[in-house]
Amino acid sequence: MTSQTADRSRFEAIWRQHRHQVLAYCLRRASTADAEDACAETFLVVWRRIDEIPSAPKTLPCLYGIARKSLSNQTRAFYRRGRLHTKLTNLGMTTAADPMLVVVQSADDKVVTDAVRRLRPVDREIVMLDVWEDLSRTEIAEVMGMTRAAVDQRIHRAYQKLSLALEPVLEIRSIASPPIAEEGGT
Amino acid sequence: MTHDQIREMVRRVNPIPDPSMLEIVDVPVLTTPLERRTEMQIDDRPGTEVQADRNRRRGPLVGIAVAALILVAGAVFLLTRNETPVAEPAPNATLLTREMELQPIDPGAYFVDTDGDPATTPRGTFVIEGAGWTGLAPGAFYAVTEDEAGLMVAEVDTVGAPACGSGAKLQPAGTSAEDLANQFAAAGFSIQEAVSPVTAFGHSGYHLVVEVPPGCDSDAHWVWMGPTFGRYYHQSPGQVVEYWFLDVEGTPVMVEASWMAEFAEEDVAQLRAAIDTLVITP
Repeated sequence: MTSQTADRSRFEAIWRQHRHQVLAYCLRRASTADAEDACAETFLVVWRRIDEIPSAPKTLPCLYGIARKSLSNQTRAFYRRGRLHTKLTNLGMTTAADPMLVVVQSADDKVVTDAVRRLRPVDREIVMLDVWEDLSRTEIAEVMGMTRAAVDQRIHRAYQKLSLALEPVLEIRSIASPPIAEEGGT
Repeated sequence: MTHDQIREMVRRVNPIPDPSMLEIVDVPVLTTPLERRTEMQIDDRPGTEVQADRNRRRGPLVGIAVAALILVAGAVFLLTRNETPVAEPAPNATLLTREMELQPIDPGAYFVDTDGDPATTPRGTFVIEGAGWTGLAPGAFYAVTEDEAGLMVAEVDTVGAPACGSGAKLQPAGTSAEDLANQFAAAGFSIQEAVSPVTAFGHSGYHLVVEVPPGCDSDAHWVWMGPTFGRYYHQSPGQVVEYWFLDVEGTPVMVEASWMAEFAEEDVAQLRAAIDTLVITP
């Protein structure tokens, strides 16, 4: 197997395994058009730098890191009507500028999305990687190019802020659905 | 409140809770042959050769610009010292920043730094009226059904050639307003109004109107890049784009107004109102 063939095989394996995760990562943070572009660019970088892409389990955090840079460099794909748009529309998704707007189905959701949006950009990204991408803190550190300690510190701070903002929601839910008293006992 | 409770609430607002739901979607890049995409040499955009070339071009211009600025400032002082100073256009205008990208913006006056760097000039100032506008670093737009009408003011340092066609390659932007106009006219769009001299927004330059033809809607089609305005801008068939390429004291500045051909006149009324207020200051 030639080197080029091996590279191609490896690229295709990475693409097959992670393409939807990378696209989902981008769609969680950007409009459909921007997400599509960022995803395409991410795999373009992977193809070009296939030798530098680490093997599992570090592959996915590396891809997220590339996608993150791609999104941050991007202004937006303006005036875009593509196949992805159509398919996502058919899925009930949106091409809205702010993907979080899609999921706001209740006043509580609005409070949560507002609270997340008010976090500092880096803290917000860390929370998203933690909750939405379900990465470990070590993996988050790799994506963000930070130390593990820095990630811990930022998560702690972000959760403190979220706790303050979301406490009223939890209280309302508690009032609306009081815990069922345990029966029996000694 | 525990971390788990917070996580659960944040998890609930995840727009794509399960990536496997994207199985039916073609993930881009492999929709076209890899080799073709790599031939586009996207890495050659600003930051490498194109930026270096831009910097080389700009080097001698800096001295000239400084000298010109001093002369102009002196002349302006002499001419206006006994008169009421002329007001800057929309003095309370708000800078459109990257942080405002894709964020709703209120009606009011805004300005764009044409190269995305607030430390430098020129700048374009315009007023938007009505609700529904969204910010971009180089301008603003609003939605009309599934499409958009928008206005951008930017310096261009790289263009796609051809913008509408496969195998687009990056090309340094023309260094004069006329060169830039001719580059865009050769981009492969349907010419609605050919390149012609114009004076607009306080400067002389060249005017061009194009319409994006059918078939020009795939990933390979992109048009221009600015120094800091990201990478490229897709086009959609039926999109009408009106360009003004202006010579702003030696700096070519592009004004791009865009809407869809099928839009009713009232759909573009807000855009035209914004264009009418546009002033470009050196």
